[in-house]
Amino acid sequence: MQRKRNAAFTVIAAASMVFGLAACGSDGGDGDGKKADAGNSKGKTLTVWFMSGSNPKQWTADIKAAFEKQTGAKLDVKVQQWNGIQQKLTTALSESSPPDVFEIGNTQTPAYAATGGLADLADVKGDLGADQWTKSLNQSAVVDGKQYAAPWYFANRVVVYNKEIWKKAGIKATPKSRSEFLADLQKIKKTGNEPIYLPGQNWYVLDGLLIENGADLVKKDGDKYVSNLSDPKVGKAMEEYKKLQAYSNAPKDKDEATPQQAEVFAKGKTGTMIAMGWEAATAIAANKSIESKIGYFTVPGATSAKPGGVFLGGSNLAVSQNSKNPALAREFLKLAMSDKFEGALAKEAGVIPNKESLNSNLDGNAVAQAATPSVPFGGTTPLIPEWAAVENPPNPIKSYMTAYLSGKSHEAAAKSVEAEINKRLSQKQ
Amino acid sequence: MAVQSDGVVVRPDADSGKTGSPPPSPPGTGGRPTPVPARRPGAAGALLAGSAPYLLLLPAVVATVALLGWPLVKNGLLSFQNLNPRQLIQHITEWNGVDNYQAVLKSSEFWKVTGRSVVFTAANVALIMVCGALVGLLLNRLGKKMRLTLSLGLVLAWAMPVVAATTVYQWLFDSRFGVVNWMLDALGWHSMKDFNWVGGQLSTFFVITLLIVWQSIPFVAFNLYAALTTIPNELYEAARMDGAGAWRIFGSVTFPVLRPFFLATTFLEVIWVFKAFTQVFAINQGGPERLTETLPVYAFVEGVGNQHFGMGAAISVLTIVFLLVLMSYYFRVILKQEEEL
Repeated sequence: MQRKRNAAFTVIAAASMVFGLAACGSDGGDGDGKKADAGNSKGKTLTVWFMSGSNPKQWTADIKAAFEKQTGAKLDVKVQQWNGIQQKLTTALSESSPPDVFEIGNTQTPAYAATGGLADLADVKGDLGADQWTKSLNQSAVVDGKQYAAPWYFANRVVVYNKEIWKKAGIKATPKSRSEFLADLQKIKKTGNEPIYLPGQNWYVLDGLLIENGADLVKKDGDKYVSNLSDPKVGKAMEEYKKLQAYSNAPKDKDEATPQQAEVFAKGKTGTMIAMGWEAATAIAANKSIESKIGYFTVPGATSAKPGGVFLGGSNLAVSQNSKNPALAREFLKLAMSDKFEGALAKEAGVIPNKESLNSNLDGNAVAQAATPSVPFGGTTPLIPEWAAVENPPNPIKSYMTAYLSGKSHEAAAKSVEAEINKRLSQKQ
Repeated sequence: MAVQSDGVVVRPDADSGKTGSPPPSPPGTGGRPTPVPARRPGAAGALLAGSAPYLLLLPAVVATVALLGWPLVKNGLLSFQNLNPRQLIQHITEWNGVDNYQAVLKSSEFWKVTGRSVVFTAANVALIMVCGALVGLLLNRLGKKMRLTLSLGLVLAWAMPVVAATTVYQWLFDSRFGVVNWMLDALGWHSMKDFNWVGGQLSTFFVITLLIVWQSIPFVAFNLYAALTTIPNELYEAARMDGAGAWRIFGSVTFPVLRPFFLATTFLEVIWVFKAFTQVFAINQGGPERLTETLPVYAFVEGVGNQHFGMGAAISVLTIVFLLVLMSYYFRVILKQEEEL
């Protein structure tokens, strides 16, 4: 999931800079122990890391009971904070007894696969139900043809709207295509309200449009990746973004977090925002009276034939290469990926499951029902280890967006940041 | 202060170059130590007595070497390696010579951060010295009760843990619930009601500077107050009799006498501000958009945050070098003083 990437001062990570090298010698004990340890698991403990907010209470209790009953081993669930997780995970994976199974953000998965810290799951892929996984959700877990993680749960943006404002503008039904959407925004504008809150740098909204237009942000040049930002397809997506942005009073040089768009929406003078489900909760927390006015619909596409592209945020489950309990870890994965527990997770947490056949668990959940139609048409950011550095603030793509929206041509705006993107893509791994 | 410890040779003319010092004085006055009794006979005792200072120094030296020296050496070694998550996780050592240094020194970002750190340090140290000196002079002038009250306030500010103080400042300057915005709004500056202090470079630096200056004033103020008590009253009286005003007295009496004090304190503050990490990082993690990163924060974000550990180590080594360059003036003065003595 894409959260605020925020480097916290972890003493552990700092210490690892100093002491990490001292602990030499590899502990790669995979292969031989895989089958042996599952049979005789009494007294063993499997350590699993989940990210804060990922594992709901009932689901956690149920899977713990089921796992312990099935294997005789103990399950130790540790919940980690998103803040500083990359440093903590890197350090943990370098140690001789890392967590056996851990949750990892989908866009972070390729980078960790490249570090050699994740085990190849080819041997259990079939048992995990891989043939039924939604294709777009599994993309991040496969690197160079190898299955390095299992797709666990997902979330994507929906359109959150203020029913009262839309009604006042005389709009009867929610739009199915972007032209209808723009026409509706025009109607709202006439009522004097802000039609949509869309700052100039909501880069995940642009990413959705890029995915819809089949635009790639990077391309291969020999054996390394370079920026593909100047591609006309990117320009096309940005043009679509600009059309939407024109209906917003939001600043062109800020992103959706400064100020929090949900807090702007909460004031009740904004018709629409493109947001994650939890942002609606933020708006409600800021202004209780808005709760009854909030509605959701799927991000409209170019035509009414299919929904618009969205950025799919989510998490995979991975097994450490250095796990002392590789077979038990795989047993846990099988359990978590089973229809029973994957479905229960979707139901309790309101997240999108890894198989479309499990979507029925989301009946009655308005946000999730607006989100699921987009999933097959969703995508991510470029799934290469080098990509993470590009998004480090100040994100050059955000600079591109501001430059374009302030009147520069697509070519000129792209040119102004491509050197920076290439510099970041060529950082040593 | 560098003073010969044997105290046997007294050079009466040594002090003549110093301003404000009384004429050549006999040993035992004027700040010179009394002559140390020379080695007394007694063979074993002499050996023990000879090594005693070194034995007494040993614990401190061991602690310093273990806690500072060793990490410093390790950090130096890391700065010549290509160390990223892959190498760390797989325990690979990849030496890459001076590549890290080359990359850092060539990057325009690094020089921007360096310039920013120097300006930041200069501004903070200037503010700290001026405000601290004023408060110190005030302490000297106040009556007993008020002096006690002010001292108490200063001690509390000084005793506050850095992270706790930073948290308090974050609350004070919170955009929606902070008391600062509330007060500005109540005073009639309504556009400040929801002002986001950490949304811009200058306003973030304003909060950080306020915090750092506030934390440092007690140190300067107390030191100055202590130093002021060593100035004999006759000097002030004489100056006043000659018709000097407050400014003149400060310029001609207080400042020249306290010159060494100002010099030493200023450079201590330079070190303290230049290496300030906690305050800068905790207020806004070097944001917005990495615009308030100073060198220590930049080293951390590049090294630990972005997990280019070797690169971070190179930046931190360069940070130390720059600090030494900034301090070179002070070292020169110290060395010169030593020569003069």
